[in-house]
Amino acid sequence: MSKVIVVTSGKGGVGKTTSSAAFASGLAAKGHKTAVIDFDVGLRNLDLIMGVERRVVYDFVNVINGEATLKQALIKDKRVDNLYILPASQTRDKDALTTEGVESVINELKEDGFDYIVCDSPAGIEKGAFMALYFADEAIVVTNPEVSSVRDSDRILGILQSRSKVAEEGGTVKEHLLITRYSPDRVEGGDMLGMDDIVEILSIPLIGVIPESGSVLQASNSGVPVVMDKESKAGQAYMDVVSRFLGEDVPMRFIQAEQKKGFFKKLFG
Amino acid sequence: MKLKGEMSMLNILHLEDIDVAAICGNLQTKKDEAPQFFIQSPIVVDCSELGDQIAKLDFVALKKGIEEVGFIPVGVRNIPQDMTATLATNGWAVMRESISPVSKAVEGKQEAVAQQQAPRDTSYDANTQATSEVQPQAALVDIKSVTVDRPVRSGQQVYAAQADMTVLAPTSAGSEVMADGSIHIYGPLRGRVLAGARGNESARIFCQSLQAELIAIAGRYQLLDELDTKLIGKPAMIRLEGEKLIVEPLHG
Repeated sequence: MSKVIVVTSGKGGVGKTTSSAAFASGLAAKGHKTAVIDFDVGLRNLDLIMGVERRVVYDFVNVINGEATLKQALIKDKRVDNLYILPASQTRDKDALTTEGVESVINELKEDGFDYIVCDSPAGIEKGAFMALYFADEAIVVTNPEVSSVRDSDRILGILQSRSKVAEEGGTVKEHLLITRYSPDRVEGGDMLGMDDIVEILSIPLIGVIPESGSVLQASNSGVPVVMDKESKAGQAYMDVVSRFLGEDVPMRFIQAEQKKGFFKKLFG
Repeated sequence: MKLKGEMSMLNILHLEDIDVAAICGNLQTKKDEAPQFFIQSPIVVDCSELGDQIAKLDFVALKKGIEEVGFIPVGVRNIPQDMTATLATNGWAVMRESISPVSKAVEGKQEAVAQQQAPRDTSYDANTQATSEVQPQAALVDIKSVTVDRPVRSGQQVYAAQADMTVLAPTSAGSEVMADGSIHIYGPLRGRVLAGARGNESARIFCQSLQAELIAIAGRYQLLDELDTKLIGKPAMIRLEGEKLIVEPLHG
């Protein structure tokens, strides 16, 4: 039984694409056949984060328009088995996405035996974001520890539970909260919203907290999903998210401010 | 122009027999007790106590008789289904039944209807009821309660038309909760909340944690900034007194 998961946030720049890439790679690394679809038509980024930008021949819109088959457009990842990327079209806009077109692509992926179909949503609440969430069974809502991001996440949760296909049919989309770019030191200093405050405001279950880390930017620029960097805290935190998503009980990590070493500790270790 | 379904006060004439002359005589006596009050008053004839006799009642004569006494006969109610056509040709409006202790006694089909449909409380405002000389008849309207058990998110609106609203989940900043009646919120109240949306001044707002952006009752509104900060985050009740919104602590 395949599952469609949308990675969304409302606000831009919070880490949706990074999270989609990391999450999909993590699922595939754990042996699940996974496809990740870039819904950001016109502002294609997922291919860069996944490091496949030079391998894009056909894209999502080509498949919807019948100009290419799904097989031709899907790019198989060279580092992780079971991982496929469906890039967005860079030369078109969001209007190229139609409900029927998106549905047929998702159904074909399901028939091809994909366990997980990860939809990387564009920012905003317009057509692209709407198309990305419409067929979702579950949603990962990416939020930064700041008020505007929390409010936008709240907005997208409302849309998810009222306008998605599952909601229209009277069901509920399963929600997961993913807090990214979290800096425990700054939370302690009082200039960043704390994890508990965000959970309280959004009142949905927390699936993970990704610490602010230079390795994320580095990974993005080099086109390697951050989960593949086993040393980085962000990579480990994303892997924890994948484990929790698959039902494992993993404690939260990297949420405490690092202990400042006192004078004697510095001297004597 | 506007066409709205509103309720007005009507005098109800409960018939106990079918003697038109006697009915009109009694009506005249009533009118003489308060002639100013009853001048050209509209009247509705209730036939629920007539039983089988109703078939023999001369509705044409009754209409004429009532007019002669100085009332305006506007309609009949609690009449058998098969008589509606005849009455319509005689110039009577057939009103929907009202549930009153009397009509509950009606046998058969009408009783079933009456039990399904509870009366709506037309007298939110206790003062109006107390000062009026004639008790308003409760209209036969489904009583409604709107319950929301999921969070009301930013950008979402929930509205309870002609009903009270109960929200069992948080309401977010940027959301709007509206009701024609009162509003009860058991999660944190963070958005806008508007009770008595169609002008009901006796509507109230009850919440467990007051963090609202804006509160309003019957069009009088207030921003959170203007609130007594001691109550923020606390259980509170908001009511309208004159033109002023009163925010009070809510003791359980």
